[in-house]
Amino acid sequence: MSIKLGTSDLAKYSFLNEASDYIRETHFEFEEFNRPEMKHVIDRAAERIEIEITKGLVYEKLDKYEIEILTFLVTLIIAKSIGSESILKKYSLFEAMRAEKYLTEDLRKERNNERKRLLLFKIFEDLFKINVDLDSKDNNLFKVRVTDYLTRAPNFHEEEWKLINRLVHNGYVYLDADETVRLIRSELTSLIYSRVKTMTLSNLPESIKAKVDDLRTKLKPHYEYRRYQPTHYPPCIKKALEMMNRGENLPHSARLMLATYMLAIGKSVDDIVILFHNAPDYNENITKYQVEHLAGNRGSHTKYSVPSCEKLRNENLCFATEECNGITNPIQFRSKLFKKMT
Amino acid sequence: MITSKDMDKSIAFIKSAFRQYYFKHSKNIDIPTRMEEREFGYKQFSSGIVRHLSFRNIGELLAILIREAPSDIYCSNAFYRFPTYPMQEKQWDGADLIFDIDAKDLHLPCEQTHSYLLCINCGEVLERNVNSCPKCNFSKLNHISIPCNKCMLSLKKEVMKLVNLLITDLGIKKNCIEVYFSGNNGFHLHILDNRFNTLDSQARADIVAYLMGIGMMTESIGVRKRPEGILIKFPKSGLSYGWRKRIATKLGIDHMSTVKLNNLVQQKGGYDGFKEELSRLTRESGVRIDPNVTTDIHRIFRMPGTLNSKSGLTKIRCDDLELFDPFIDACLLGENEVNVEVKAHVNLKLKGESFKIKKQTERLPLYVAVYLICKGIAELS
Repeated sequence: MSIKLGTSDLAKYSFLNEASDYIRETHFEFEEFNRPEMKHVIDRAAERIEIEITKGLVYEKLDKYEIEILTFLVTLIIAKSIGSESILKKYSLFEAMRAEKYLTEDLRKERNNERKRLLLFKIFEDLFKINVDLDSKDNNLFKVRVTDYLTRAPNFHEEEWKLINRLVHNGYVYLDADETVRLIRSELTSLIYSRVKTMTLSNLPESIKAKVDDLRTKLKPHYEYRRYQPTHYPPCIKKALEMMNRGENLPHSARLMLATYMLAIGKSVDDIVILFHNAPDYNENITKYQVEHLAGNRGSHTKYSVPSCEKLRNENLCFATEECNGITNPIQFRSKLFKKMT
Repeated sequence: MITSKDMDKSIAFIKSAFRQYYFKHSKNIDIPTRMEEREFGYKQFSSGIVRHLSFRNIGELLAILIREAPSDIYCSNAFYRFPTYPMQEKQWDGADLIFDIDAKDLHLPCEQTHSYLLCINCGEVLERNVNSCPKCNFSKLNHISIPCNKCMLSLKKEVMKLVNLLITDLGIKKNCIEVYFSGNNGFHLHILDNRFNTLDSQARADIVAYLMGIGMMTESIGVRKRPEGILIKFPKSGLSYGWRKRIATKLGIDHMSTVKLNNLVQQKGGYDGFKEELSRLTRESGVRIDPNVTTDIHRIFRMPGTLNSKSGLTKIRCDDLELFDPFIDACLLGENEVNVEVKAHVNLKLKGESFKIKKQTERLPLYVAVYLICKGIAELS
């Protein structure tokens, strides 16, 4: 391939091997982080993590590639040093979403097909062994092998990702830029997560150590697990709560199920909002708005009901046990259980 | 009353016929790829299933077949590191993509004309629909079907529909699709495309829904529901292929037909009516496969070249589906005549010969006798 990645690509996609090569080639030593001119990089890295963890937002600032590559490296070091699994998971997700944002924009705006192909190759094929190509008729459409699609999309659960709702032809699924990039979110997240996990830190530079201590105090309320004892909940709700407790990213349909169920058993909007606290992309205002909407306090004032067992089965959210026999909606589980107990 | 002595006699007869088949026709048995990584299992006449077996070569398997003469032989679609270990410890390493098309799922109109009920208590065969056995009053009755040519034609049509979808939509090459007659009343498809091997059950369920035409959203064809009414907005990726094309063709629309599609939605009584119509159209064009078979990534599936104990016919590959006649090509047992006690009037055609069999003791060729005994309609006299 004659075209090479530009420096702006390395700024946006600092997790690429080329970015690691850059650090190696410049013979950068860890101690150099103690130099005064590195303060800017370390401050940016701390700010990036703070925004991701406390606000649940993607860090939007983009600097020169030399700064970005080092900033990314410092974020990895900080995420490792804080030593909290839930912060690491949330950090990895938001770093993946940041890359996703740039990649979608690049694939949408880039006019040069060769450059588009290079990006696709470097990110999809090189990192994740997924072959993605441009459609021969419309270069805003991308074709992904059916098997590559099916290895990822069924985990999204939403109906629109079901194969029947996609344009499928001759072994390929045709997607737009957003959808193509969305396919690798979980792999990007895992890539960043494993970069942190496999990193070995011997001596943390003092400049970073101070930031880590500072962030630990600031983020403490955000990473202490709030655990809820799922008592008398049906298995689908228990499973969703367990995932939430582990700081895992629940699909939209599971969140809807959880919120409508909690509303139906009489929990307050505020209590339900707290339940979502451990979600990697948690944003209090957005969550509150959405739960209020489901409760019928906003918009059309329609109160949403709990999805039926059949719908949950179709969305792969059903984990029925023997105790579920005879119920058609998770809401019936409690009364059935209590009837049995009395 | 059916006695265990009668049963034993019939079973011994079938076992001997099956043993002879495996002795004479061992070449019919397809050696599966990566044989040593698969789990094998077999059912014995009047006893349970033996599974978690492993064979390194066809010779080892044949030795069991001739020694035991099992009623049915199965081989896993999955590959395991340790095929003989308990399920949780086998270490799954992929599974062939498989499909099952069964006549019972096609709900064919001819079905009623060649169906019987068999009382599992006394063995009485009933030619009409009843809720319990008039002889012993037992209410558990098994449904028996003697498939006819119409059944086979409909099944072949369904197989062709599936093969076409696999080729045009999923991009599976024709030479990677192996079609087998199941040995009774259906067809099995084995896909020899390694790219599908690693897909989990959830991904396979998505393939099943796609092929059966289940779950298509109205948005996929351009119909969106908005608080102010219907919005027609065609998907960016267009309507030119796959399900979108099939439905667009049925509706007579293309990506320019905004007004026409809006009118069609109104004609169907609005969004909900159109949604129902879409669901009907996709199901009608979809293939009727057994979802449980395809989504099961640990299944032991009937082995090609072995006999089906529901009929005595062979599960056999159909190289030319159109010309394939299961009643000739899968009927491979011997022709020696034997006396059997037939319990109902049956018309059937096997090995190209028509038989009008009465409810009495009849002298019939072995392959017909085995077929009727396997179906539960006769006993060795």
